[in-house]
Amino acid sequence: MPRSEALARGMRLTAFAADIRNEWRSGNRSRLARLVIVALIALAVATFVGSIMTGAADASLANVWRWLMGEADQALSIRDRIIILDIRLPRAVLGMLVGASLAVSGVVMQGLFRNPLADPGLVGVSSGASLGAVLLIVLGTAAFGPLFALFGFYALPVAAFVGGLVTTLLLYRIATRGGQTSIATLLLAGIALGALTGAVTGVLVFRADDKQLRDLTFWGLGSLAGANWTKILAAAPIILASLAVTPFLARGLNAITLGEAAAFHMGIPVQRLKNIAIVSVAAATGASVAVSGGIGFVGIVVPHLLRLVIGPDHRYLLPTSALLGGTLLILADMIARTIVSPAELPIGIVTAFIGAPFFLWILLRGRSNMGL
Amino acid sequence: MINVSNLSVRLGGRPVIHGVSLEALPGALTAIVGPNGSGKTTTLKAISGELSPSSGTIRINGRDLRGLKPWELALMRGVLPQSTVISFPFTVREVVRLGLAAGANVDPAVHDRVTAEALEAVDLAGFAGRFYQELSGGEQQRVQLARVLCQITDPVIDGEPRYLLLDEPVSSLDIRHQLGIMQLARKFCERGGGVVAVMHDLNLTAMFADRMVMMKAGKVRACGTPREVLTDETMEAVFGCRMQVGVAPAPHVPFVLPQTASL
Repeated sequence: MPRSEALARGMRLTAFAADIRNEWRSGNRSRLARLVIVALIALAVATFVGSIMTGAADASLANVWRWLMGEADQALSIRDRIIILDIRLPRAVLGMLVGASLAVSGVVMQGLFRNPLADPGLVGVSSGASLGAVLLIVLGTAAFGPLFALFGFYALPVAAFVGGLVTTLLLYRIATRGGQTSIATLLLAGIALGALTGAVTGVLVFRADDKQLRDLTFWGLGSLAGANWTKILAAAPIILASLAVTPFLARGLNAITLGEAAAFHMGIPVQRLKNIAIVSVAAATGASVAVSGGIGFVGIVVPHLLRLVIGPDHRYLLPTSALLGGTLLILADMIARTIVSPAELPIGIVTAFIGAPFFLWILLRGRSNMGL
Repeated sequence: MINVSNLSVRLGGRPVIHGVSLEALPGALTAIVGPNGSGKTTTLKAISGELSPSSGTIRINGRDLRGLKPWELALMRGVLPQSTVISFPFTVREVVRLGLAAGANVDPAVHDRVTAEALEAVDLAGFAGRFYQELSGGEQQRVQLARVLCQITDPVIDGEPRYLLLDEPVSSLDIRHQLGIMQLARKFCERGGGVVAVMHDLNLTAMFADRMVMMKAGKVRACGTPREVLTDETMEAVFGCRMQVGVAPAPHVPFVLPQTASL
């Protein structure tokens, strides 16, 4: 009996797989996409739990599990509990948030600019956000006293947001003419703006004192090492709010892949879509940069991989990118903190090592249809 | 009815359309023709709402374009651009179904049927699983038309006629598909909808259009049935090219051959 049941289940699975394959052949990837969402949720949960259980400290896997399940209250020492609750847990939460925010910002920006290479990190939005943060750190309370008074510990994410927003608006203004966005102009303008913000940042670093310098070094590399609950409290509302907006952009972003005019013809209020998209990218990028510095390539690699599997439909691309982005960043962070254990690498190095070759691969593979 | 009255449009501060008035009736295929740079596409863009006029008014079914929201317009008219480049790997099915979200096909139960019929109508049945980027220019143009047909499926809804605005719908098609697409436009008119098409091929226009609007330098130079508009005199006045308009074997269809030109 169990054997025939297993056989029947096997046959149902095979039939299901055949269905999906047939749908794929007829250009319908929506069921596959929903399947991928479910799989990615499972993967994200597993990675999240896994990252809480691994690290340099010897809080062993089995003990953490028993403690998490509430089985044995004494399974973990106080020290290990602190490691888990105040170090690993905020780090995993922050990784999930920042990874999701970077990947989704990538998707939105790429949709908006109609190009798979547009990424907040690449075109200088992140460096603009860094500049906002660095300005705040170095000029500090003297220049921005009211900002601190008004926003409290949100001041840093807000400053980074403003920096990112100004850069994005500038980029859009420069690269778009008559409703057409030139990706070549965009990338080149991104380089120019990046250099400019870099120069200004350099001047500020020159002026900075020792404590400020230590804070600043952190921005250049990108790391989740400083994760704590205060940072999460500062960044999470901004990131979650901008992520929550994106599902409403999905239909508009789909339409705008055919061009701004075509999107208008299909009933999309294009200018409003662009405004919301730009503000949400700047907010998500700004908040991420504020808490974790510049972490590159997540916004390019994740959406591109997913487009290969489930296609560019933003209704599915946005949630899957959020899930995979968060998962990958936690994984990268696990590599970063274990590979040279007990020391650790900045996570930006890990993502660059994986992301940069991948980026080159995309370039070489799709030069013809990327409008370069 | 689409009613354009005294339309003027500026592009980058330069006036390109001067006081154009025209009517496009439901049930009729209205073709806009004229030499390069005469303002045909600009006029169509103004009718679609994409460009706002510097003066003059445009009404669709009696409603002023300026008072209509993008989604209201999307229910009244579909627009086929000259060419569409997509830099993401969409399948044909996915591109065509983008039109569904824009139009009045709100019932998901009909989506598959409407998609299949639209692809059939542009002779792309069996192309649903192909990648848009891998198609030829002419095939891509037909995919876009299928997308528009998913948006504007029924020529009439609640007694209100709907419109197709086509910018050179057959410019990159082979002759069989040129005829097929023009016939499709005709059928849309016969079922009560209206079509406004920017055309280059005068003979196809003469064959299929009910009315022709001939433009030159941002103004309407001649307007009427193809037999009224296509004359030796207007050809010379508008295209600067002395030619003889003939009449084809099928009765009452004028044609003009490049071989008759004296340049």
